[in-house]
Amino acid sequence: MPYLGGEDTVRELRRALSNPNVQSDQLRYRNTILKVIRAMSQGVDVSGLFSDMVKACATVDIVQKKLVYVFLCSYAALNPELSLLVINTLRKDCQDPNPMVRSLALRNMTNLRLPSLMEYVEQPLTAGLRDRAACVRRVAVLGWAKLHNLQPNSEIDAAVVNELYSLLRDPDPVVMVNCLRALEEILKEEGGIAINKPITHHLLNRLSDVWGQCEVLRILQRYRPQSEDELFDILSLLDASLVSPHPQVMAATLSLFLSLCSGLPAVSLAALERVRGPLLAACGSVSRELRFTALCHIQLLLRSLPGLMGAHYKRFFCGYAEPAYIKQRKMQVLVELVNDDNVTMLLDELKGYCTDVNTDTAQAAISAIGRIGRSYSDRCLEILTGLLALKQEHITSAVVQTMRDLVWVCPQCSDTVCLALEGCEETLQDSQGRQALLWLLGVYGEQVSSAPYTLEVFIDGVRSEVSLGVKMELLTTTMRLFLCRPAETQDMLGRLLHYCIEEEPDMCVRDQALLYYRLLHCGIEETQKVLQGRRSDPSLGVLIGRPSEPISQWACSFNTLEPLRQGTVETDSTSRGSPEHVTFEPKPNTDLSDTLNFSLTLLLFLGDEKMEEDYMCLEEQIQFPAIPHCSPQSLQAAMQLVNIQTLAFTPPHTLPWRVYLYTHTQHAGDSPHITLILGELLYTGEANQRAVLKKALKGFLSILTTVLHTLSSERK
Amino acid sequence: MIHSLFLINHSGDIFLEKHWKSVISRSVCDYFFEAREKAVDPENVPPVLQTPHHYLISIYRGKLFFLSVIQTEVAPLFVIEFLHRVADTIQDYFGECSEGIIKDNIVTVYELLEEMLDNGFPLATESNVLKEMIRPPTILRSVVNTLTGSSNVGDTLPTGQLSNVPWRRAGVKYTNNEAYFDVIEEIDAILDKSGTTVFAEIQGVIEACVRLTGMPDLTLSFMNPRLLDDVSFHPCVRFKRWESERVLSFIPPDGNFTLMNYHVSSQNLVAIPVYVKQSISFFETGPCGRLDITIGPKQTMGKTVENMMVTIHMPKAVLNANLTATQGTYTYDLTTKVLVWDIGKLNPQKLPNLRGSLSTQVGVPKPEDNPSLNIDLKIQQLAISGLKVSRLDMYGEKYKPFKGVKYLTKAGKFQVKMLCTAHFSTNWRSEYI
Repeated sequence: MPYLGGEDTVRELRRALSNPNVQSDQLRYRNTILKVIRAMSQGVDVSGLFSDMVKACATVDIVQKKLVYVFLCSYAALNPELSLLVINTLRKDCQDPNPMVRSLALRNMTNLRLPSLMEYVEQPLTAGLRDRAACVRRVAVLGWAKLHNLQPNSEIDAAVVNELYSLLRDPDPVVMVNCLRALEEILKEEGGIAINKPITHHLLNRLSDVWGQCEVLRILQRYRPQSEDELFDILSLLDASLVSPHPQVMAATLSLFLSLCSGLPAVSLAALERVRGPLLAACGSVSRELRFTALCHIQLLLRSLPGLMGAHYKRFFCGYAEPAYIKQRKMQVLVELVNDDNVTMLLDELKGYCTDVNTDTAQAAISAIGRIGRSYSDRCLEILTGLLALKQEHITSAVVQTMRDLVWVCPQCSDTVCLALEGCEETLQDSQGRQALLWLLGVYGEQVSSAPYTLEVFIDGVRSEVSLGVKMELLTTTMRLFLCRPAETQDMLGRLLHYCIEEEPDMCVRDQALLYYRLLHCGIEETQKVLQGRRSDPSLGVLIGRPSEPISQWACSFNTLEPLRQGTVETDSTSRGSPEHVTFEPKPNTDLSDTLNFSLTLLLFLGDEKMEEDYMCLEEQIQFPAIPHCSPQSLQAAMQLVNIQTLAFTPPHTLPWRVYLYTHTQHAGDSPHITLILGELLYTGEANQRAVLKKALKGFLSILTTVLHTLSSERK
Repeated sequence: MIHSLFLINHSGDIFLEKHWKSVISRSVCDYFFEAREKAVDPENVPPVLQTPHHYLISIYRGKLFFLSVIQTEVAPLFVIEFLHRVADTIQDYFGECSEGIIKDNIVTVYELLEEMLDNGFPLATESNVLKEMIRPPTILRSVVNTLTGSSNVGDTLPTGQLSNVPWRRAGVKYTNNEAYFDVIEEIDAILDKSGTTVFAEIQGVIEACVRLTGMPDLTLSFMNPRLLDDVSFHPCVRFKRWESERVLSFIPPDGNFTLMNYHVSSQNLVAIPVYVKQSISFFETGPCGRLDITIGPKQTMGKTVENMMVTIHMPKAVLNANLTATQGTYTYDLTTKVLVWDIGKLNPQKLPNLRGSLSTQVGVPKPEDNPSLNIDLKIQQLAISGLKVSRLDMYGEKYKPFKGVKYLTKAGKFQVKMLCTAHFSTNWRSEYI
């Protein structure tokens, strides 16, 4: 075992290393050193052998040298004084006629990473830059970077930097790329290597091996072409690498494309179309890690081009033996690709995943069905209801949570959901699932005949309840149920409030119970206003699909680790509490009059943390001429032209006719935040606004006015 | 870029570590072990983990984790591809990539890692170049080395590194000049319960073994190159000529290499070589079920299907299987619930059949998930996509080489979804009470 018996091993090895008989026999000597390395790789602390190993360094056998260097580089930091002894041998090797030996010595000299040895290293490194063998120059160039990392605060030697710049023109492509890497590290303080037009074109014309290519493409992102002609020259040069068989080159090229074409959205979109093939090929790669990364990047692309993969949806079906993290990503992609033609097949496929052995995958599949349910609610509800019949704990929990989220967005599903709820409280074990069930019982209490009986079981067991969330949800639910079915609930509400106020140890629960108690004192109408104020509007139809984002929203995170991380955020959202706590709803304008005016209520908030204190309600009067009922599609299209997205609207010919809108300011350089503007458009009533952030708001309003004016004039 | 590399075995021991910058303590792997424990199955460990100071990017190959530690934001594809390259190189050198083989050749592995990366940047990753600097061990050489004490390090400067063709060394000489190409295709398909194709694609690869003297320039042309959808080539292939003329023109590396990978994804082009008639049913009363599978040839272009093997992951509730096979043998693993039926050669006159009863656990709800059936097969001398090499020409050298092409079709991820029916028999007594 690695960590045991270390001391004996070390003692034995030392005896062998210092044995003159072993030292004279080259083969035995090397084998002993081999044992040292083996012990080292097993985690035994062999640092005590340092002085013996230094002696072994002076040899003509290259393999022995390599072995000793591996040892020395690992333990040099612990023995800076003894390491001084190695330097002489190393410096002698730097003069060796064999370039392999020279590069080996130079590399290990810099790998010792001891600041005390710096003065001895600089001279051979300078000589190494002018060596006639390319492999020595490669090592020497990177050696300067290592030297700089040892003492990052030291003065940068201008002569060395100049020499490195001139080596960018070296005939060996690897020396060139290594120069780039070294300069990037040495000049980090100044923002990296300076990229001008001649260097750019020199680099682009000498793209060589795969790894170097990625490096060059990444560094070139800093270059801004001076004219459009130059830009297109560069793009044509890069075209071959855009469809490169190596996914890492393809990704680096696309990243450069997007940064170069940030002002030309049409060209960027064409580039995205072009990489579809290589990306899909990467999704079918043998390596599962590669497949995963490709999937994450496809998700980014879909944000701007939702139709990009439409025809290839079958590529995202999960294989039986695929790891859970790939399956979950594939499902996220599948949800984006759903349309009228493939919905039956997709749902069939997802249904198969719901019974996956891995519970996380199963739950992800269920919530994916829920997401699709926002557009195809009947079919999805049928599947979800079917899953409840399996009486599996984790499945039921996920289904109930999904139904809760679905009902909030599509209230028309509530009848089916209420029917399905009967009896599932027996299977539910985890707090998330029970919380969801309670919420549904509270909001749709009058439709579930057994609601009070289910609640009673919960209230009887409240003493042994451990989850804080369930207790708080239970309080709210009982209050809500009391409002619609007082006769059946009054008694148990009293018991619950009594327990929570008198016996409950947790402050949060107690405070909430006290709040409700006092609220009840204020009268039933007040209570109703507080507890039943927020409901989603059943007449709202949610738009299918997601509006496409501009590429600039995600271009900077392409080919970084960012898209790989995002999955965790999305899974978090499935474990959140009731939807009303997170859904942000603009305040409806209450005074309706018969004038055919639009009122506009704008709510505006900054950041996401202190929403409560930061959001401001702004209202402003805008007068519009009457717009005859225009079709939602034309309104949506018109709004999208000016980057205003439509969230939802009521069906035509209903009064009051509402549209919810949102937009956000672009990431301008000076302001750190993105301002999000939410608006409600009301077909009747008047509007008044108190502008605070006038600049952003005024712009939004003037654009909105123009759009509405244009629309109305078209109708006339 | 890549700061350190740890190799971790199946049971969670670190058995090799290599640092290209400063030494990072092994304790950084604790974050990985935590994730490994949470994932239960080692395959499910996410490839990218974030720790307070580092990113851990790992790949899982041959029951080993290659875990790289990274300190700054990097392109993930770059690192993942590089790690695979490390694993490929080890595989290439020692024939397999496993803990035992790496431990046996630990010194060569250290040497390789030292050459492949310097200061965290990829240096020499081309296997031809590496093999000139560090010779792969052969039985003969290791015997010679032990006797003479000579090393397996090349004493000459690798010439390939300086030539204009970085993948080929200069001055290659053979007495027998030969070039062999293997066209290997794998069918990835999902068939649904009724046997219709849900999804099918072909992943093809052309492996080459070229031993030719000098600097030959080869041109390989196909009868039907338009079949191929996504192609990716070895860097030696001239992409421009492929785009304009659809031929592969290249100066080959010396020895074995992968010339090209391709996909055929349009579904109507993918022939499905076998059909499966299957039914699995469970009875509501009584602890048993029934299974019946027949396999027959479908589109095999007149070739025989060999090495047929059927693997079924049974529902958890199935305790044991009592079956009879008309051909081949079957085994049922009680712990993993995997049924394997090894058929061998498929005889079109007498179709193999497997039928019998399954015993299920009493009192457990009927199996909820539909089992799926994975098929493994081989067809020699056939590329199922219909791809055919028409000719190979050589320019630049005078001699006449020996040429050969072999075709092979295999099943990749070939999956058939099973129809699982539950028989509900009425309990008469409860009806009448």
